[in-house]
Amino acid sequence: MIGLVIKDFLILRKTLRTYVLVFALYVGLALTGVWAAEFVGGMMMVMTAVLPMNIFAYDKQAKWDTYALALPVGRTKTVAARYLCVLLLCLFSFSLIAALGLIMSALGRFGDVDACETYMVCCAVCGLVGILVSAFMVPLMYKFGPERARLFLYGLGGLIVAVAILFFKVFGGAEWLESLGEPTSTQLAAIPFVAAIAGLILLALSFLLSRYFYGAKDV
Amino acid sequence: MTNCIELKGLVKEYKTFTLGPIDLTVPGGSILGLIGENGAGKTTLIKSMLGITQPSSGAVALLGTDPDHAKEDIGIVMDDCFFSEYLRVKDVNSVLSHVYKGWDRALFADYLDKFGLAGAKNIKELSRGMRMKLSLAAALAHRPRLLLLDEATAGLDPVVRDEILDEFLAFVSDDDHAILISSHITSDLEKAADYIAYLHEGKLLMCDEKDRLLESYGRLVCTKADLEQVDRGYLVSTRKSQYSAEALVRHKSDFKRLYPRLTVEPVTLDELMVFVVKGEKA
Repeated sequence: MIGLVIKDFLILRKTLRTYVLVFALYVGLALTGVWAAEFVGGMMMVMTAVLPMNIFAYDKQAKWDTYALALPVGRTKTVAARYLCVLLLCLFSFSLIAALGLIMSALGRFGDVDACETYMVCCAVCGLVGILVSAFMVPLMYKFGPERARLFLYGLGGLIVAVAILFFKVFGGAEWLESLGEPTSTQLAAIPFVAAIAGLILLALSFLLSRYFYGAKDV
Repeated sequence: MTNCIELKGLVKEYKTFTLGPIDLTVPGGSILGLIGENGAGKTTLIKSMLGITQPSSGAVALLGTDPDHAKEDIGIVMDDCFFSEYLRVKDVNSVLSHVYKGWDRALFADYLDKFGLAGAKNIKELSRGMRMKLSLAAALAHRPRLLLLDEATAGLDPVVRDEILDEFLAFVSDDDHAILISSHITSDLEKAADYIAYLHEGKLLMCDEKDRLLESYGRLVCTKADLEQVDRGYLVSTRKSQYSAEALVRHKSDFKRLYPRLTVEPVTLDELMVFVVKGEKA
């Protein structure tokens, strides 16, 4: 199984290099105050969600699935390896944005503790969205292949926008949120942990679905 | 000598195509050549054996056990290189050394050297032939006992093919090893295979020792009038032109004894396939 994870990272090698370069550029923009740090953090987490889709596309191009099933790994471990890769990519991305947070904090660019908290909350929420995208997309990639599954991503994007419009415009979500009052410092601090647990639960459910699809798949 | 492959009633059903039922046995120390026209089901058969595609029914035993347990001892090469263009040749070592317990890094390096790939860096830069050689090195470097090869020699020049066939012959010198190789290059199979299985439209038409198969069938070349006089029981299929006729005859020796005046030439695997597919059933 570890071999498959190594393979995934090796085929993403160039992409990850570009990813780090883009991050370095964004860090520069955040440090000079052109972009808000939370925007950079959010952007990186969402970009991470796209990486597993690239792996599926590269595998399809090389017909790797056929070979993978001939290896002494088994279908469950093959799927598990992909999810481990997704988790590691999230951790990699998270460590980058945590590093940005530390740099910003060390240079006194956050101004106050609240700004630092806001940064962490934004990154956690964006990270959760990133995991949600992966959790949604990976089973579809197994079921329909990368080309067709991408269409569902547009559908998911549309769905999120539609829900947001309904929530804010139709159901008066903004007022409802205001009525809740300002979150306490403890609540804000809990958001990253809640997001991490929610992300893991989502990925676990997604894994079960992917295992089901891949188990029945004829390559 | 144990059987390395045992298939009993293997069936794979699709909406428009059915493979099987296939009964096939490949003893250790031998090479089975799988022939058949495009779409005959050769790749499906290999995939079904490995569980890459789930068989509809039947039993598969590889190396005396079920395919999942045997995979550690199986090397596979199919008609394409499975390694992404984004990988380097040495990455294959890094990946597969964590997949196969018996992976031998030094042996892989030896094969790369032997196949002229030692200096190669990116898979993207390799020709089709070089990629096939890489696949073969990857299939051999964990010291498998069974090789399943689907058009593995396609795209290789005759010199390299000859080297690889020698490699295969050395591989099966161990009675514990066997190879199933599907190929359209029947001259390779005539050189290396011990057994030939002929798959046609999903059905196994012939499966026998190669020498016995080539010995028992012959190509009758005669006039149309002569062909009419021949006992139909000896004829598998016929092909007629304006002035002459050809036929694939079975029990060649008996036939020659019975019709000493007629010319019966040795048949090649290619001719055998063409007769079965394009000839008229006798």
